[in-house]
Amino acid sequence: MIGTALSRWTMSYFTVALAFLVGAQMLMVAGYGFPAVAVEAPETLVLVHMVTIGWLSMLMCGALFQFVPVLIAQPLRGERLVLPALICLLTGLASLLAGFLQLAGVFDTGIPLLALAGTLLPAGFLLVAGVLGGTLWRANLQLPARFVAVGLGCVLVTAILGALFALLLSGFLPALAVIDFRTQALPVHIAVGLGGWLSFTAIGVSYRLLPMFMLSPDRERASSRVSWWSGVVALLLTVLASPIAAFLEKMGLAAAVSPATRLAVALGMAALVLYGLDLAFFYRHRKRRTMELNSRAAQGAFLALALSAILLLALLATGTLERHIGALLYLVAFGWLTGLGLSQLYKIVPFLTWLECYGPVMGRKPTPRVQDLVMERRGWIWFALYFLGVLAGTATLLVDQPGLFRAAAAATLLATLAIVAELVVARRLANVPDDKRLPEGASRPRLFLPAPH
Amino acid sequence: MTLPYYDVDVRPILREGGEPFSAIMAAVEALAPGQSLRLLATFKPIPLFHVLGSRGFEPAAREIGNGDWEVIFTPVGQQPDPVEAEQAPAVDGTIPTSETWPAPVVELDNRNLEPPEPMVRTLEGVEALSPGQTLAALLPREPIFLFEELQSRGHLWRGAFEPDGHYRVLIRRG
Repeated sequence: MIGTALSRWTMSYFTVALAFLVGAQMLMVAGYGFPAVAVEAPETLVLVHMVTIGWLSMLMCGALFQFVPVLIAQPLRGERLVLPALICLLTGLASLLAGFLQLAGVFDTGIPLLALAGTLLPAGFLLVAGVLGGTLWRANLQLPARFVAVGLGCVLVTAILGALFALLLSGFLPALAVIDFRTQALPVHIAVGLGGWLSFTAIGVSYRLLPMFMLSPDRERASSRVSWWSGVVALLLTVLASPIAAFLEKMGLAAAVSPATRLAVALGMAALVLYGLDLAFFYRHRKRRTMELNSRAAQGAFLALALSAILLLALLATGTLERHIGALLYLVAFGWLTGLGLSQLYKIVPFLTWLECYGPVMGRKPTPRVQDLVMERRGWIWFALYFLGVLAGTATLLVDQPGLFRAAAAATLLATLAIVAELVVARRLANVPDDKRLPEGASRPRLFLPAPH
Repeated sequence: MTLPYYDVDVRPILREGGEPFSAIMAAVEALAPGQSLRLLATFKPIPLFHVLGSRGFEPAAREIGNGDWEVIFTPVGQQPDPVEAEQAPAVDGTIPTSETWPAPVVELDNRNLEPPEPMVRTLEGVEALSPGQTLAALLPREPIFLFEELQSRGHLWRGAFEPDGHYRVLIRRG
């Protein structure tokens, strides 16, 4: 870990991620994609992958490159692959979006864009999983790291399924055209991507970050272990649901809903309930009485996660899941995952900036506090606006009001832009009083590129 | 004639979740001119290759079973000095026995501080020491970022987890 405790490219990943988040929300405000067109329309696919790959996956990768070495107290192995991974993911995503636009008939070229995306994106995620998995390999994994390890497996499953769709749509795999991917593999792609890669990993990270910043007891709890196990079994069942259903059908035991899927939902819910109990424990037993904004805002994300679970059960019970899948996925992606991501960025970015800038003079010269880099009195307004916008957006989708949805999306866009501006201000040390900003020996960090060697 | 290896077995430190870096660096300091260091670890210590490489050592690593690795760091461009051979001390254990550190002049309890305060207070304490003096600090967890600062400032440290899960580090000002 010599000279490598600060991950070099994390801030670049974050910048790319935030650019995609802002871009996607601008499209939503402009009325592009769902709900103006169908959930499966190419325009919606553009939007969905800007959010899931461009924003959420980039954010998660950047965070993990910083977080995993800290988690297991080992240096990142293969750090030189982090930039190639970013380039693969970016070019792959660009090809994917262009490929969808081609499907939508926006333009026409002879280049097999989707097939290109189907190669570059899995390659990028393989590099990410290789670096992080190689770092975790043979380390003594505590529970948060075990969540991350499962998430890395899930991102590969998701990427491989995505690549199969891309190749199929490009006409490269005629032999597979007989399989009904839309009903059999697409739900797995979505569930394992959002539930396994993004949610499971985010849960793992939160198991360490929250106690760390709230000073809560973070010894491994039995409930957390059970949550991990039920989550893992739920994910395995999800991945294997189609093969299991096919097998049962072959045995002449066809059922209306695959029992595997039902069990997966039940176990997934159990994992979430246990996670909720652990979160309540962290908040209740924290030693810091006054919570910082990142921990307060994260509660909005946890509430959105609980609402997502309730909504899923309600939609399943009423048989309207297919009709309202857009609203559910919006709440998961923007309420839970984006809400948690933005709230934690509000802590991580100032913290890393502080370390980068003041680390060399720490203990020698007076330095500002990390909290001097942000202005929470202003910040909480943006988070409140953001979460209200997401709740309103979900409601408008449920009652089929696309016009009102755009107004709600405008609120979340505004809040996001303000939070991004706060992060830039923190990175620029603009909130720090002049006389404390740059003590001799401290150097001003660059906005999003690593410091030169 | 070649000098015997200077042996350092950091596997016990690693198995306890400790930080072997300062033990290794202390052993490097104790090497006789031209003497090689034989390191036993529970993984292939790639980062160390760079660190010791910059000090003129060439690594030769081999797996010795059970996932353990033996790495021999040989100084390059230095002729072995036969006269020094008999004085070469051998160390086998967590901390080089050739050296005892003075008792800490300060004991800090930084467990209940929000990050990065535990690190800030510890470094303030270290900077207030005279060279050679030591300080002990209790920290909420293994302080990865602190180790990096200590390393770049040329201080030595020894640390291990306490039974209650906290981390106790002993730092000697360089």
